[in-house]
Amino acid sequence: METPAIKIENVTKRFGKIQAVSELSLQVQPGQIYGLLGANGAGKTTLLRLISGATRPNSGQLAVLGLHPMRQRHTLRTRFGYMPQTPALYEDLTPIENITFFGRAQPQPDLKRRVAEVLDFVGLTERARQPVHGFSGGMKQRVSLACALVHRPPLLLLDEPSAGVDPKLRAAFWQHFRDLAAGGTTILLSTHQMDEVLHCDRVAVLRAGEILAEDTPQNLLWRGQARLKVWQGGQLHTHTLSDVPAGLPPALQAYGLAPDVSRIELETDTLETIILNLIDEKSRHA
Amino acid sequence: MLNRSLAIARRVFAQLIRDHRFVAISMVVPVVVIYVFKVFFDAAATPLIKASIFVVPYGAFFVHFITYVLAAIVLVRERTANTLERMFIAGFRRSEIILGYVGAYSTLATLQSLVVLVGLQLLFELDYDLPQFLSLYLVMWLLAVISMALGVLVSNFARNEGQVFPFIPLIMLPTIFFSGIIIAVEKLPEWAQRLSFLTPLYYANEVIQQLIEGQTLADAAPDLGGLMGYGLAILLLANITLRERD
Repeated sequence: METPAIKIENVTKRFGKIQAVSELSLQVQPGQIYGLLGANGAGKTTLLRLISGATRPNSGQLAVLGLHPMRQRHTLRTRFGYMPQTPALYEDLTPIENITFFGRAQPQPDLKRRVAEVLDFVGLTERARQPVHGFSGGMKQRVSLACALVHRPPLLLLDEPSAGVDPKLRAAFWQHFRDLAAGGTTILLSTHQMDEVLHCDRVAVLRAGEILAEDTPQNLLWRGQARLKVWQGGQLHTHTLSDVPAGLPPALQAYGLAPDVSRIELETDTLETIILNLIDEKSRHA
Repeated sequence: MLNRSLAIARRVFAQLIRDHRFVAISMVVPVVVIYVFKVFFDAAATPLIKASIFVVPYGAFFVHFITYVLAAIVLVRERTANTLERMFIAGFRRSEIILGYVGAYSTLATLQSLVVLVGLQLLFELDYDLPQFLSLYLVMWLLAVISMALGVLVSNFARNEGQVFPFIPLIMLPTIFFSGIIIAVEKLPEWAQRLSFLTPLYYANEVIQQLIEGQTLADAAPDLGGLMGYGLAILLLANITLRERD
């Protein structure tokens, strides 16, 4: 089996009395798009900062691209791109100047051309020479993403990359992320938008610094329930199925090919419902 | 390392030249203060007092004060905007950041010291020859660069602009009273004399007084060395205390 791009074992991070990350373990494989899903305060940003070496864990082990995020941070930082939650840009400078500046942190053979490429990708070529302070929140996010991409890193850590980005550009972002992943780039991103995790290869659902569930989006969807509605002889019969593919045939067998069945509907839980149910369930057990 | 420091210096300089208000404050305020000082000096001084003994060290103090405060605030702004953390994560190192900042602000210090010294020369009709003027200029420039490093050091202990303000009197009051620009250091109590060694203006004033008396920089080498040593110590401390993490 390949060495994981990110390996986290029993990591805990406290800020005073607040436990931001609690005994958390996960692995991200090379070339994977891995989503961290959770509400504000779930621990997503802290986890990304731990991986980037921006903050030190209280306990546990981390290995990122085979390196220790603290002890080998200078080497590690040449190999990942980081996009923080707030744009963290020099607002009196233009996108070109911001991207060029962050690009100069690492040796680049043709920085000028690369800056033009990433500017084109985030759709800001026409506004490349205007100061960032006049930009909307979404445009600043795009400049910030370009700064993370400029040195072609094999690992991308993106903290809510599509927040404030319009749907068309968001779709373009995801297409680009998929292209990068296909080329071997590992992407770990956080989001609080349920629909976005469907684009990921794997997802960890976080709550209060703990992982509630960790799986592929498809498998997470299977965790939901389905409601089979059958209208027979003018009456509605509802069956709740907890295992949709396996439970469906026996539920339908009861009706056979009865001629008075006028309508059949299968209503499945959305990912949002499944995750909210997961959160409720864990809260009840806590 | 030098490439990255240069990248920071270029970026800071690009920001500086676009911040017209900041540049204006840095250049105009010392001139205005010198003029106010001239009015005050004309009203108070007796003809027997040699103006240069006071005005050049006071000019140096203005440069020291303004550069120190501006540098401290600017670096804290980087911290509050999260760009400092982003710089670190992008791969810039502590020493590169400090060197980059000092490099960019040295340009400002070069101009500011020149404006102040020329302003003093014109307003107070000081008659320095070129070597004397250049020597005084070098001391004032050095003080400005050190003041900036001191500002960077202080900013490392503040999380926002508001937290910088208590550090202003903390550094400036001992400087005013104990550096020798008002009262000769020898006349101070022993503990205050020791405190004077912690202010860069003490060393700068010692060199300035010797230059005004007609001595050369070579004659003032011990105090000039003290000023440079102080600067190096501050840069080292700033490098050690620049926090990457919370």
